Amino acid sequence: MNKGLVARLQLAGSYGFLVTLLVIVVFPFYWMTVTSFKGEEQMRSLVSMFWPSPVVTDNYRHLLGKTEFVAWFGNSVIVSISSTFLATAIGTIGAYALARLKFLGRAFMSSAVLITYLVPPAILFIPLYAQIRTLGLADSLGGLIVAYPSFTIPFVTWLLMGYFESIPVELEEAAMIDGATRFGAFRRVILPLAAPGVLAAGLYAFTQSWNEFLYALVFITDVKLRTLPVGLSTFITGDVYGWGYLMAGAVLTTLPVIAAYVYLQKYMVEGLTAGSVKG
Amino acid sequence: MSISTAELGAKSALGPKREGPLVWLARMLGPDHRLGYLFILPTIVLVLVLVAYPFCYAIYLSLTRKYVGVPPVFVGFDNYVKLTFDGFFQRAVINSFIFTFGSVAVKLVLGMVMALVLTSGIRFRSFWTGVLLIPWVAPTVVSALNFLWIFDYSLGVLNYMLVKVFHLLPQGVGWLSEPGTAMASVIGVNIWRGFPFFGISFLAGLRAIPAEMYEAAAVDGAGPLLRFRHVTLPGIRNILIIVMLLSTIWTFNDFQIVYILTRGGPGGATQVLPVFTYEIAFGAQRLGEAIAVALYMLPALAAVIIVLARYMRQGRGRA
Repeated sequence: MNKGLVARLQLAGSYGFLVTLLVIVVFPFYWMTVTSFKGEEQMRSLVSMFWPSPVVTDNYRHLLGKTEFVAWFGNSVIVSISSTFLATAIGTIGAYALARLKFLGRAFMSSAVLITYLVPPAILFIPLYAQIRTLGLADSLGGLIVAYPSFTIPFVTWLLMGYFESIPVELEEAAMIDGATRFGAFRRVILPLAAPGVLAAGLYAFTQSWNEFLYALVFITDVKLRTLPVGLSTFITGDVYGWGYLMAGAVLTTLPVIAAYVYLQKYMVEGLTAGSVKG
Repeated sequence: MSISTAELGAKSALGPKREGPLVWLARMLGPDHRLGYLFILPTIVLVLVLVAYPFCYAIYLSLTRKYVGVPPVFVGFDNYVKLTFDGFFQRAVINSFIFTFGSVAVKLVLGMVMALVLTSGIRFRSFWTGVLLIPWVAPTVVSALNFLWIFDYSLGVLNYMLVKVFHLLPQGVGWLSEPGTAMASVIGVNIWRGFPFFGISFLAGLRAIPAEMYEAAAVDGAGPLLRFRHVTLPGIRNILIIVMLLSTIWTFNDFQIVYILTRGGPGGATQVLPVFTYEIAFGAQRLGEAIAVALYMLPALAAVIIVLARYMRQGRGRA
């Protein structure tokens, strides 16, 4: 076999692999969207499986009018945005301290933050629930807003420590020689340079909070206070009609995250992989 | 502020050569200690209140008999001993290991192939990367619900395709309701969601390997397999270990996928530890025992975390 043929076969194999993977990755989202526009009759009769005919919006009308979906969407927005701001603010200054400032206990605290990031929620959710109850925040959005930073802050801090360390110390020193205080140098020199990292960390914290399920399931009992992932999971009824508005809800829950991802892909990819490979 | 006045005081009282205890303290604490402690304080408070204290309390509770609304009674290691001989618990442990290693192994291979293919002169690389990463970004609960619907026995699209479109099977399969296929199905969904993380991490690692290393190896007569073995693998060794350990922790503690798809069923065939913990805590209301389930694997988890943390710090150049 000549080399050109081998190379071409290899390339064909590569594209074949990618296209197969693409179909497997995209199909569930395609299927959820198609289902959300199907009528009950069509779903039951298994006709025109892969395209809604006729296209109906009943599922969305039912979802928005007859369920608590709108309230859940609002809850998710409130919880995700508040906890993201909280985590990003606290994580940013914490990361700066651990990356740049010299003080006793810094090395120990860096390790503690990293280990906290690695402790899985599945072993923390029961005692954390007890703690949230002690704080008087059980069955309230406040409980989730306070609890989510417990996993987003360690990540934000870890990501931004790497970021701050990559900014040359000389920039800060120059600002301080020019009369800036340490805090002034941080605010006017370092923070603007770290803005892309802060954005990546914030986006990551937002998706993590938006997608969180276990704490929201355990901490919230009031139906009206549920967040989207938990609310949607309560739609599982086994009934045909249920699937229509469940999938409509799935579409609307996925959209904000995917929209953010499409617009800010560069930053998000950075945030998503930084936990392991940012060197 | 207090330091500078202390310093002045020390100088006037004791002469310039000797330092007061406060100056000594300030020196111990480091030159930036005031801003440093101020900046790290919120993180410390949060970690103490939301992670460290609950964690210690959990260890205590796991040594008690505790029901919801009743004070705990100290029972030593009773919960752990009982669990060791509990058939349901043993099954959940075995299932957790099957779920974790089955899933991580396939994610590793898929992620590696994805990364290699994406570095092999493919066009529109950022398009492929962008699309293939979607399962990792999308809400896991939504994906699990999608698959619940896809796997549906009578109306699901998977059975429809296998039976009516491709005629591969005479009749549909109860993917999630039969013990033989349920575990494979939940593992499949976990792979679907998790492989992009492997792929994207390996991709970042591969792109950091200088092209000259491959050229040198090729000049030395190394074929593709040898180049993979001696250039690629050593080049991404650290990332490989970090990603595998991270994914092992995450997969072992994955709650959502199994909870949504099977709740551990049918008949405990997919019961894994996180879901088992939840069922005992909030189904059976036996909190002490539930926490013991969650903490049973703590020594193993701690070992993995310590090794992983060391590698992650090494990656940052401060081991």
